[in-house]
Order: sequence, then structure tokens, then C-alpha cells
Amino acid sequence: MSNELKLSKKSQEFLENLRVYLFSSGKRWDEIEGIVNELEIHLSEAEKNGKPIEKVIGKSPKEYMEMISNEMIIDYRTWFKYICLIIFGALFINILPDLLEGNLSYSVLEIVGYIVITITFIASVFTGFKYISKSNQSIKIQGLILFTIALLPMLLFSGLIFLNRSINTPIIYLGNTGSIIIAIIAALFIIGMSLWAKTWLLIIVVTMLTLPNYLLNLTSLEYETQLILNSIITFGGIGIYLWIMFKLEKNK
Amino acid sequence: MSTTQMLKGIIDGCLLAIIKDTEVYGYEMAEKLGSYGFHSFSEGTIYPLLLRMQKEELVTSTLKKSTAGPRRKYYSLTPKGELELNKFIERWNNLQSNVNKVLDCESDTEYTKGDEIIE
Repeated sequence: MSNELKLSKKSQEFLENLRVYLFSSGKRWDEIEGIVNELEIHLSEAEKNGKPIEKVIGKSPKEYMEMISNEMIIDYRTWFKYICLIIFGALFINILPDLLEGNLSYSVLEIVGYIVITITFIASVFTGFKYISKSNQSIKIQGLILFTIALLPMLLFSGLIFLNRSINTPIIYLGNTGSIIIAIIAALFIIGMSLWAKTWLLIIVVTMLTLPNYLLNLTSLEYETQLILNSIITFGGIGIYLWIMFKLEKNK
Repeated sequence: MSTTQMLKGIIDGCLLAIIKDTEVYGYEMAEKLGSYGFHSFSEGTIYPLLLRMQKEELVTSTLKKSTAGPRRKYYSLTPKGELELNKFIERWNNLQSNVNKVLDCESDTEYTKGDEIIE
């Protein structure tokens, strides 16, 4: 925005919370921006005239957010699209390294577990965000909630690996042709998604996750050295990319 | 019953009346309501109402540049909104006269004394 409005910290916080709350309630992005901008103008004019924020949003920000949310329609189609993108995007990112090592084979438990964990993760992210934006918790508790949400899929995936070892379910084995078809679909999906979202992020992440590992395997370095180098290049590379993007965004 | 509860549904009609003559944006509407004596409600309550009235196609909005900052959203009445306003005026006049009649006849003594008791 070219014309930044002067706003008190309390008002800014409220607007941020409102945005997150409406977003995690599944409202349409442009409608959210519309109402947030409108309230931003209102709050800044009210502050200029010496009115406290309570005069605008009432005593309970939570109730006010709900009031607004109730008047906005839920955009199920976009949300379905996003959720599909997250599930398949993460799935293909997981599959690619396996593909480079050879043909694909997964147990039924792994496949079902993967889908269940992803859905659980998405649901927990939305519930968590909604809760944080609505309730006035301290930064510490907010951090703790986000940390738990981030930890949840890791714990569940560890559980799944353990379970997969102790319970035998039928294994779906994809031969050469099958693996190649999946690889092509995955590549097309990632390229398509990058074009749609106009970002290099996915391509960079996928390259960083697979290419160093693949190239290092070709060298005669020791296995431990390979592992260490691999993680440094992967996370360093993604980190540098995000840092550059952040700088570019800031200079806009 | 508090004033806020009584106001429900009435503010809608007042907003329609304010929007009727000129295009106005949110803050202006709240100021106008305030200047007519509606002080007890929080100004932000107009936005959920405006959202609903837009959904019901009673009002439309356009973004317009302002000298003071980002573009403001100006509201104007649709033909459907004008019809709704007329209905509101009719309903309100009816309600007002009925309530007055009730108060005049039923609480006659208290009402006249009322001026002294309730300042």
C-alpha cells in the first residue's frame, strides 16, 4: 500500500487478528481484505479524533470478529483447492527422493497414514490459528500452541514408521512404468502449481531436497560426510532463497 | 432491555436513510449516526450490517480515491434498497404511533409524572 495509515499498536494487532481469524474461518481472500481495509480506515480516522478502539469494535474484540464472520460466506471451493494442493504437493515432495532411488513401493498403511496425518495437520493448523487470533493469549502460550502444531505431524509420522514396521499390510509396488508415470505427474503438478502461484518456492524446495542427495551419492565421499553436506546444502539453500525473497519483498 | 437491543433492526433503516441521498463511506456514516444522537452503540457494528445489506443487494459499493490515504469504500442505495427504506419508514411510523398510543393510554399517570421522576 502506498499510503500507509497511522495506527496504534492495539488497532494493528486487532486487524491482524481479524485477518487471521477470517482466513482460518474459510472466508474469501478479497472479501477479507475489503473489510480489513475498511476497518483500518475507520480505526485511523477514529484515532485521529481521539476515540478509543473500544468505541469502534466494542468491549469484546472476539464478539466483534464473530459478528463480522457471521455475515461472510465460506468459500468452500477455494478451500478444497488449497487443501488438495497441500496434500498432493507434500505427497509429491515426499515421493521424489524415493523415485531417484528406484521404483516406488508403499504399504497400504503408509498411504492411509499419510493422508490421515496430512488432514489432521491441516485441521490443527486452522483450529490453532482461529483460537490464537480470537483469544488474547500471551506470546509464550501462542508460541507453545504453534510449536505443538508443528511437532504434531513429526510425532505422528514417527508413530507411523514404527507402526509400519510392526504391522504388515499389503504392499503396493509400482514397477518401472508406474514409477515413471508418477514421476511425470509429480513434475507436471509441481510446475503447474508454481506457475499458478507464481512462485519458485516449490521448485527450489524440491530441487534442494533431491538434487544434493542425488549428486552426493555419485561422489566417493564417506557416507557420514555425505549426510552432513546434504543437510547443510538443503537447509542452507532453502534458507538463502527465503532470505533473498524477504529482502526483495521488503525493497518493493 | 438495553438501548443496544432496542436498536437492532432500527440502525439498518437509519443507515439506508443516510445512504439514500449521497454516497457515504463507513466512518462518515458512524459520525452521522453519532451526530443524530446514537452514542451508545459501537461504531464498528455498522460493518456487519453493511455486509449483510450488500449481500441482500440493498446497497452497492465503489472504491474511490481519497487525499488522506487508501481508497475508501463508498456506499449507495440500489432500487431494491430504496424500496426497503420505504418499507422501513412505513414500519417505523406504524410502530412509533402504536407505542405512543400504548404509553399515552396505559401508563397515563406515570407518564406525566415521569417527567419529574426521570430527568
